Amino acid sequence: MSGTLSIIVDLTLNSLVLGGVFLIVAIGLNIIYGLSRIMNMAHGALYAVGAYAGFTLVASGLNFFAALLIAPIIVGGIGLIIERTIIAPMRKRSMVYTLILTYGLMFFLDGSIKYIWGNEPRFIKLPEFMQGTLPILGTDYPVFRLMTLLLIILVMGALMLFLNRTKIGIILRASSTIPEMVSCLGVNMRYVHMGALVLGCVMAGLAGIIAGPLTTIDPLMGGEMLISSFVVIVIGGLGSLRGAVIAALLIGAVQTLAEFFITDLAMVIVYILMAVILAFMPRGILGEGKFE
Amino acid sequence: MTHRTTAIPGIGSGFQPLKIVFIIILLSGLAVFPFVSGNRFYISLITEMMIYGLLAMSLDVLLGYTGLLSFMHNAYLGISAYMVGLFLIHVSPASFWLACLAGIAFTCAVALPVGWVQVRTGGLTFALLTLAFGMMFHTIVWKWYDLTGGDDGLMGMPNPDISLFGITIGNSGDPLVIYMFTLVIVTLCFFITRRIINSPFGAVLEAIRENENRAAFIGINVRKYKLLGWLLACMLAGISGALFILHKGYIGPSTMSAFAGAGVLMMVLLGGMGSLWGPLAGAAIFIYIQDYISTMTEHWEVFLGLVVIFLVLFLPTGFAGLTGHIRRLRKE
Repeated sequence: MSGTLSIIVDLTLNSLVLGGVFLIVAIGLNIIYGLSRIMNMAHGALYAVGAYAGFTLVASGLNFFAALLIAPIIVGGIGLIIERTIIAPMRKRSMVYTLILTYGLMFFLDGSIKYIWGNEPRFIKLPEFMQGTLPILGTDYPVFRLMTLLLIILVMGALMLFLNRTKIGIILRASSTIPEMVSCLGVNMRYVHMGALVLGCVMAGLAGIIAGPLTTIDPLMGGEMLISSFVVIVIGGLGSLRGAVIAALLIGAVQTLAEFFITDLAMVIVYILMAVILAFMPRGILGEGKFE
Repeated sequence: MTHRTTAIPGIGSGFQPLKIVFIIILLSGLAVFPFVSGNRFYISLITEMMIYGLLAMSLDVLLGYTGLLSFMHNAYLGISAYMVGLFLIHVSPASFWLACLAGIAFTCAVALPVGWVQVRTGGLTFALLTLAFGMMFHTIVWKWYDLTGGDDGLMGMPNPDISLFGITIGNSGDPLVIYMFTLVIVTLCFFITRRIINSPFGAVLEAIRENENRAAFIGINVRKYKLLGWLLACMLAGISGALFILHKGYIGPSTMSAFAGAGVLMMVLLGGMGSLWGPLAGAAIFIYIQDYISTMTEHWEVFLGLVVIFLVLFLPTGFAGLTGHIRRLRKE
């Protein structure tokens, strides 16, 4: 029965990788929402920008790992520009306006991507040693997917250490619960808001370049990822980081299985699952706003 | 959010003489237009403006009056249009009213469970869920090739005769007939919606928009009224969907895409949230601009994004808000 076993191993690893990518995108969204109460509709487009930036950097002869560092910084820079120019002036207004504003931004970024890189799919070229496969329990699993998994675990570990062990991280977490108190203690909330958006955008860019080699890079990838990450954060609870972890792994597994067994219409299963969960737990699995 | 003072039912909702004159001139102008100008292109364009105006108005019932954001209201136009088309193709090619009824009823039947899940969550989750469910409908229509024709769209719809009380008005394949039919239906929908919005029911919706918690404290069942507002909006979208497929004779999945949904949202923004005639005007402006720009450049998406950003930043009350602003300046 080595065939069945290898399929099970394959599916498990695939769902972990997919869930991990969802997780990094969704965590970025949750960081922005939890700290500055802004739902960034352009997050998917920024993820796509990260992937395209990675493609251009690697195609211009740069080492893949260097691109892995630079692409997120580029996306973070874009995030900073966005924050300063259009989101900061809207902070006092109702949330509906920032939603529509970032939605417009999404179309602007998506259109710009089509303008710069065109409609045809692109591929990130991997370094030699990551192109092979590795035998695990009777299946030949691509090395790159394992690297991706490792990277995702590293990024999440670093993020946890950052939020729990450093002073900036503690300020960020405190600001998500009682911003007025943090402000009274002499922290400039403007920097917290700026930092939240930049950190969120860096996560989006990182996810983009990590996921780039897994799939083809095309202008549609941002929209798809946006919807998936919304499903994740809605199921996990808005602004809840632990909820996002659970939900991302759940959705990753469900989507991988659905794609394996029924191929088309896999997303419909995911939506139905989301509707059922929300019907019983309207605030998501872990409730809203637990930023830890 | 900057809002006009909340309307009290029965007060300030009557028609002023000037407004009545304006409405009569506009309607008679639209009614006479096809006979004066034989230009088929403009007849078709104005029909489309009216259909999208109805859709934008239905979104405004949700966004401007109830304070709920729906990113993909065009999905419900699409559902209704597909249903009308499928009914005419597979069930009965001649029964016009039955097909329209089936389309609108099916839209409501789909919107009810979706709305039920959506109103249970908070205001922000509501908006995200409209996008997720809208994308779901888009995917279903896109991938279910056997039923909907997938990417090619639904084609080969028969054109039934429109008849009322036994009198045949005309064939729905005739652009002129559809133009007149759309004009009548959209006008009717406008006045009915206006009546609903100015009723106590409308006041409850506005109370929910202003402050959900206070509305709940004074004994309003917030979820129930949000669901009713959502159903009203989806029903109007369903009517616009029936008109849409009668006008075009064809529907494809791109009508239900997120991109088209952003267009509808922009019509509302352009016209101004919280006024019923604003989105109608917004739709007319939007479709004219779209028609104009898309002939010049293929990167319409970039422009759409920039215009949305510009509108939210500098003109959040839209066209309707601008006229209100001018009126206030003149009074001072």
